[in-house]
Amino acid sequence: MTSPVLLELSAVAKTFGDQVVLAPTDLRIEEGSFVAIVGPSGCGKSTLFNIIAGLLEPDTGAVLLQGRNVIGATGHVGYMLQKDLLVPWRSVEDNITMAAHLTRKVTDADRLEARQIAQKYGLGEFLDHYPKALSGGMRQRVAFMRTLVTHQQLLLLDEPFGALDAQTRLDMQRWLLDVWRESGRTVLFITHDVDESIFLSDRILVMSPRPGRVVADLENPLSRPRDLDVLTDPTFVALKSRIMHLLHGGER
Amino acid sequence: MNRSRLTKVLLPVASFVILLLLWQAVVVLFNVQGYIAPRPLDAIRAVSDNWSLLSPLVTQIVKETVFGFALGALIGVFFGVVMSKIPAVQKLLYPTLVLSQAVPVIVIAFPLAAILGFGSVKPIIAIVVWIVFFPVTVSVIDGLGHVDHDLLNLAKVYGASRWRTFIQIEVPATVSPLFSGLKIGATYAITGAFIGELASPEQVGSTGSSLALYVQHAESNLNSPAVYGITLLMAIIGVAWFLIVAGLEVVSTPWLRRTTRRRWRRRDIATSQGDH
Repeated sequence: MTSPVLLELSAVAKTFGDQVVLAPTDLRIEEGSFVAIVGPSGCGKSTLFNIIAGLLEPDTGAVLLQGRNVIGATGHVGYMLQKDLLVPWRSVEDNITMAAHLTRKVTDADRLEARQIAQKYGLGEFLDHYPKALSGGMRQRVAFMRTLVTHQQLLLLDEPFGALDAQTRLDMQRWLLDVWRESGRTVLFITHDVDESIFLSDRILVMSPRPGRVVADLENPLSRPRDLDVLTDPTFVALKSRIMHLLHGGER
Repeated sequence: MNRSRLTKVLLPVASFVILLLLWQAVVVLFNVQGYIAPRPLDAIRAVSDNWSLLSPLVTQIVKETVFGFALGALIGVFFGVVMSKIPAVQKLLYPTLVLSQAVPVIVIAFPLAAILGFGSVKPIIAIVVWIVFFPVTVSVIDGLGHVDHDLLNLAKVYGASRWRTFIQIEVPATVSPLFSGLKIGATYAITGAFIGELASPEQVGSTGSSLALYVQHAESNLNSPAVYGITLLMAIIGVAWFLIVAGLEVVSTPWLRRTTRRRWRRRDIATSQGDH
């Protein structure tokens, strides 16, 4: 466990008016790790994401990605929301290559990569389809592929499966774990589903509102690869109970 | 042609035929005098019998309509884009633009003709532009203002420039609203051309006359069949132009009706790696 630190936040804080949406926060994310962030709405998790992504500038503090200050800069993370944000006028293939369309000339290599990744993850037949022809789960898969082909090391996923039904969500979680393992990326994953945070992550940050802050930083001891059995594992249940108390009952 | 497509075409045509039949029925049943309201067939005959005289006039008004519409659409898009990109310009111009539409066109038409030259085609085009640009501008401002904010943020996170975001996201997102404005403009364009011809009547083009003048002449002679016939003809031209614009919309928004992109839009990749 001596992976280098990919992302480092020190004393990052943000205030809107007289409301402290994010109290001074320190955070170190190791390369290749999967870190989940759980917390109720208003705990500052999306603010944290927007600061890291460069959409928002913090009032104080430093954000270093691979040692480089990225405050106010963009183009350094992959980013995905609960809304798939697929554009209806582009085919699946052109949606996957959207980041390239938006930043430079799209090459055959981009198209080839999009086709290969879609084929690999079972959407090869849908490359020429418009997004409206896809189911919710398929759309989120395409949105995630679009995030992957940005080739950013750090992926920020903000409740990506929040709008899916329970069954589809579980399928997507297992799929995400497979893709993550193969891709070697670093994932920061926001959710308010405690089960999801434990099932997916190496480490869980529990956040709390007023002021938005990280109240606990928990190692996830569950071994990988994981499958459905871990959901009933005593370690899982104990961790879940701990997080539930942090979220709802104050600290034990 | 499948069933739904059949009804799509047949029902509107049927409604037009029913309208003509109703007109015929009313005129016959209430024994309306010919100079007050002619029978539809007489109206149609008044156009077809004089077709050699009318056809250059019709060609002319169609040209004015199409050209004025195209220019008005371009100007409308330009105003829409500039106004939504520069809020100060929007605040400055919007009230004036609304004011321009609150003034009856028929009142504006004569001063416009005086300024641009009686008897020239310029005031006619100007009036069509006047009518067409406004709904286009409003729809463009509306469309650009309602692009999904999260999508724009996503583009920003990717590091997209404003120009590429505009071309790749904002423009395609505005196509549908734009066509709402264009379709409104398309229906009014011929009315604009007709009013223009009334205001700028002398020696239009090479024909030395205009459709508006012809109608005025027919009106003063109580030649109702000609008046009704030309009204019908203009309505048909207006509808046809609307349908052409609506057809353009269908062609430019394939994702609204199709499941997959068109075959010619697909692309083969020259690659040595082959398929997987």
